[in-house]
Amino acid sequence: MADKTTMQVTIVASDHPVWSGTASSVTVPASEGAMGILPNHESVLAVIRNGRVVVADVNGSRHAFDVEDGFVSFDSNKLTVAVEHCSDEVSAD
Amino acid sequence: MASQLAFKSRIASTESLAKIFNAQEMIASSHIAKARKVAMDAKPYSDAIFDAVQALVAHTHITHPIFKSEEGNNHVAVLALTSDRGMAGAFTSSIIRETEGLLSRLDAEGKRPSLYVYGRRGVTYYKYRSRDIADTWEGDTDKPGVEIAEEISKALLDAYMKPADQGGVSELYIVFTEFVNMVVQKVRVLRMLPVELVQAETEAEEIEANKTAPLYRFEPSADEVLDMVLPKYIQSRIHECLLTSAASETACRQNAMHTATDNARNLIGDLTRKLNASRQAAITQELTEIIGSADALNKKEE
Repeated sequence: MADKTTMQVTIVASDHPVWSGTASSVTVPASEGAMGILPNHESVLAVIRNGRVVVADVNGSRHAFDVEDGFVSFDSNKLTVAVEHCSDEVSAD
Repeated sequence: MASQLAFKSRIASTESLAKIFNAQEMIASSHIAKARKVAMDAKPYSDAIFDAVQALVAHTHITHPIFKSEEGNNHVAVLALTSDRGMAGAFTSSIIRETEGLLSRLDAEGKRPSLYVYGRRGVTYYKYRSRDIADTWEGDTDKPGVEIAEEISKALLDAYMKPADQGGVSELYIVFTEFVNMVVQKVRVLRMLPVELVQAETEAEEIEANKTAPLYRFEPSADEVLDMVLPKYIQSRIHECLLTSAASETACRQNAMHTATDNARNLIGDLTRKLNASRQAAITQELTEIIGSADALNKKEE
């Protein structure tokens, strides 16, 4: 089933929505070290520190964003990254 | 009757005023689109924060100072959201009237309110009357960005978190204008802090809530997440107030300018009628004079 291996991802900065779409995996800089999130992860609400969020979308391409000060929440296969400031997409490498 | 020249100059000046009012109205309506965009852009973030706070409330037993005010501290903060510029009808004056009402109510309850003002009009009003203001902010009242919301919420949260003997406050009220629609805007007083917690009231509801809400893991810990999310929640609530107040300001200005343009047009109509009457009177008088003098000449010859 398609929705087993993908999840909805929304990245929002305080003044504008940044990215949203379907992804197969996401890496976030959680406060206790980087955290990889796959579809159907358990529900979690984590503080994130300054760093880089990398989203691998369904087509296999990677999107990276530099974020500052925020949190990430995963709930019913929906991932929301809410941060104070977020850069535009940067190269993932 | 005033001279035709005087009428003409009054009509000309009223016409140029009407042009200015019309331009102001146009500017206001173009700002509405901008204000709406700022509000739409901020919405997903505040939704995300609201969801996170809800998850926290549902899964932890919150004991955070934001939910419970310090006992025995009668010092409270009042934030009034006014506009930077005038020409917005009764916008600022109704905010100031409501604020004064709130201040005297709080005084009557034995509380000591300290005043925070956003918007140049409000600041000059209170400065001119040399009132004590705790802090003021100016600029961008018609399109408040995140930066200003951050500044304001930081100052107010600092005041709230301070202990009473260092001038801390136990409550925060916000006086702002709610945007109902383009025609109706209402002044409202909101108690922002301490945040009122709506707990699941009966046991059945609690069980229901536990069933629907998934189990949560908090990283690094529920308390730390709470400490991080709650100030952001307050900030986004304050930003929301700023945005609705900005939308109201713009709508107020557009309405006021629309009325002013209409009034100027009416005035021009009136003045034009008077000008025509005065010209007609002058013509009639001239004719009578000519006929009269011609008559007199004819009579002489006979």
